[in-house]
Amino acid sequence: MLIKLSDLPFGERAVVREIRTSAHDLNCMGLRIGKELKMVTKQPIKGPVVVLLGELEIAMGLETAELIVVETGTDA
Amino acid sequence: MTEEKAKGNADLPEKGTTVLMLGNPNVGKSALFNRMTGANAIVSNYPGTTVDFTSGTFIEGGHTYTIIDVPGTYSLEPRDAAEEVAVRMLRDSPDATVMIVLDATKTDRGLYVALEVMERGMPCIVAVNMMDAAHEKKITVDIAELQRILGVPVVSTTATSGEGVRDLAEMLRKAKVADIGAIAQRLRGEEQERESVRGCGGCGGC
Amino acid sequence: MVFSSDARWEMVDAITRQTVTYGTYKHTLGDVLGDLTVKPLTGIPVAFAALYAFWSVFTSFAGTLMTDGFMVKFFDGFWLPWMQSVWPDPASWHYFLFVGNPAADTCFEAFGMLTSGLFVSIGVVLPAVLVFYLMMTLLEDSGYLPRLAVLMDSVLHRIGLHGYAIVPIILGLGCNVPAVTATRILETKKQRFIMMTLLALFIPCGAQLGIMMSVLPDLVGIVMLCLIVGFCIFGFVLNKVIPGENPEILVDVPRYHWPVKEYVAKKLWNRTKGFLKEAVPFVLFGILVVNLLYLGGVIQGLANLLEPVFVTWFGVPKETVGPLIAAFLRKDLAIAQLSTIPMTTYQMVASVVLVTIYFPCVATFVVMLREGWKELIAAIVVLFVVVFIYGGIIHGIGILLGVA
Repeated sequence: MLIKLSDLPFGERAVVREIRTSAHDLNCMGLRIGKELKMVTKQPIKGPVVVLLGELEIAMGLETAELIVVETGTDA
Repeated sequence: MTEEKAKGNADLPEKGTTVLMLGNPNVGKSALFNRMTGANAIVSNYPGTTVDFTSGTFIEGGHTYTIIDVPGTYSLEPRDAAEEVAVRMLRDSPDATVMIVLDATKTDRGLYVALEVMERGMPCIVAVNMMDAAHEKKITVDIAELQRILGVPVVSTTATSGEGVRDLAEMLRKAKVADIGAIAQRLRGEEQERESVRGCGGCGGC
Repeated sequence: MVFSSDARWEMVDAITRQTVTYGTYKHTLGDVLGDLTVKPLTGIPVAFAALYAFWSVFTSFAGTLMTDGFMVKFFDGFWLPWMQSVWPDPASWHYFLFVGNPAADTCFEAFGMLTSGLFVSIGVVLPAVLVFYLMMTLLEDSGYLPRLAVLMDSVLHRIGLHGYAIVPIILGLGCNVPAVTATRILETKKQRFIMMTLLALFIPCGAQLGIMMSVLPDLVGIVMLCLIVGFCIFGFVLNKVIPGENPEILVDVPRYHWPVKEYVAKKLWNRTKGFLKEAVPFVLFGILVVNLLYLGGVIQGLANLLEPVFVTWFGVPKETVGPLIAAFLRKDLAIAQLSTIPMTTYQMVASVVLVTIYFPCVATFVVMLREGWKELIAAIVVLFVVVFIYGGIIHGIGILLGVA
């Protein structure tokens, strides 16, 4: 199922399918299409989202997370 | 130190080689820098900017190296003032050797900027740092294989304990320009120069 | 040969596939702590605890132990009487400039370049700055800083900044000079401008904190509250008013690791050295300039000119005008001077808050100028407007509460 990264529940895994914002910065941080990630936490009052990508843990703003499409339920 | 320099290198120019230490933020670059230069580091302001950088010198094998700790960067397409300075430093010292520092637990991210540097045709050496953390996380990096693919010297280091730092300093003189086309070929499995690599033990520097 | 970004990433993937293998490993204590300190439910209390612990260390070490326990005794007991006894001719202009008031018993009141100037920079500010630098270095080297940045981002992004603005804020509590330089951690001009302006306005430096704590310890809490509220209000307004981008945070959250003693020591030394070289000469120079202005009657003239504004608009007694004017250059000593004027609690809080949000010290001015003169002029305009409005607001609240 394709959902926005910002809607991914805590502790769930998903695969990045589409980046609808400037992908370069995200790529440089290790978030790339086809990579599997895990939602670590979302901060309250529309704060940043923290995800785990393999060994990398990165934090991004909520608006950025809304522009990333991930697929859940795959066992990639 | 000075004695060693005097007898080892009568015929070499005195100004030494500039080494730019480049890599992602938080890969232990500063720790590595401190290990290599000891106490004689100088913090300076990069002209026309507010970004500070550290430089220092050390002597290895009778050769003087001026080593510059370039602000951490993820790519050569800069995002902020510090990354901008990193790019300008590369441009301003075209004769420099680039020491690319990778975090062994996050090799992919560091390799991106490493490839960008290699495309510029500057002589390179790669330090795979934070080997202790990688070991803890049960991540193994095949240093010999990485060296074979990249075609430049690759040394594993743990800056916090000093492990491998000596080797890194010694290998600096073997830094060489990577052939990016050959890297692509080797990755596709077209390994025309396999024989020669095996012949010399694959140190990649000779 | 140059590749496209995608081609390069493909190569990176191909290289890592051939050289890197991931084993399975048990989560270590560090990983568990890492998760706990970035999740809001557990992370926010931890952040408060960390900041509170730091505050306790700061007040007890820098305030009580170093400044009150040692520096005050040394400067008031030995240095000042000695200077007063050896410097020739107490009535001369040079005595006034360098030693100050011949009748003063404390270095707060003397106001000379070599008495109060040295006392403030070495006795009060240096211990404070040391503690702040140590804290900053430990935060950086342990890997806690990015987590703190993520937690703070929810608030700071609302006021045009992002989580990493916590770095200049913490440094600014030590000294604004390195803090202004640290604003480069922010990406856009807009963010840096907002940060610099807010730093100059609402972040009291170590000197001010140190003096506030030694001369009016009971009021530090309420003064800080006024400053934090002002910080948020004007940050929000500046974010709305100033054109430009406010990009979202995008940072790496590294694992925890133990800071290595020698690197912490080295960083601490480099930063302290920078402070001694850049800020201390300006504190001394500032005192000299203020004393010269006093000698030339400029301060008195300005005080007479601005007195009606201060008394009617801000609601503070007219004796405070002198120190408030002097605060253009040296806020720390202005607070010390204020403490000797009899005032109601409200007047004291209002005047101390005013002194703090007033113009930054000369040294801060100089580093801001280094960042760009256009920004500096814009910042000065904003400073004027904010001081005027916020001073009025505090007065208004005071009237409503019936204390002004």
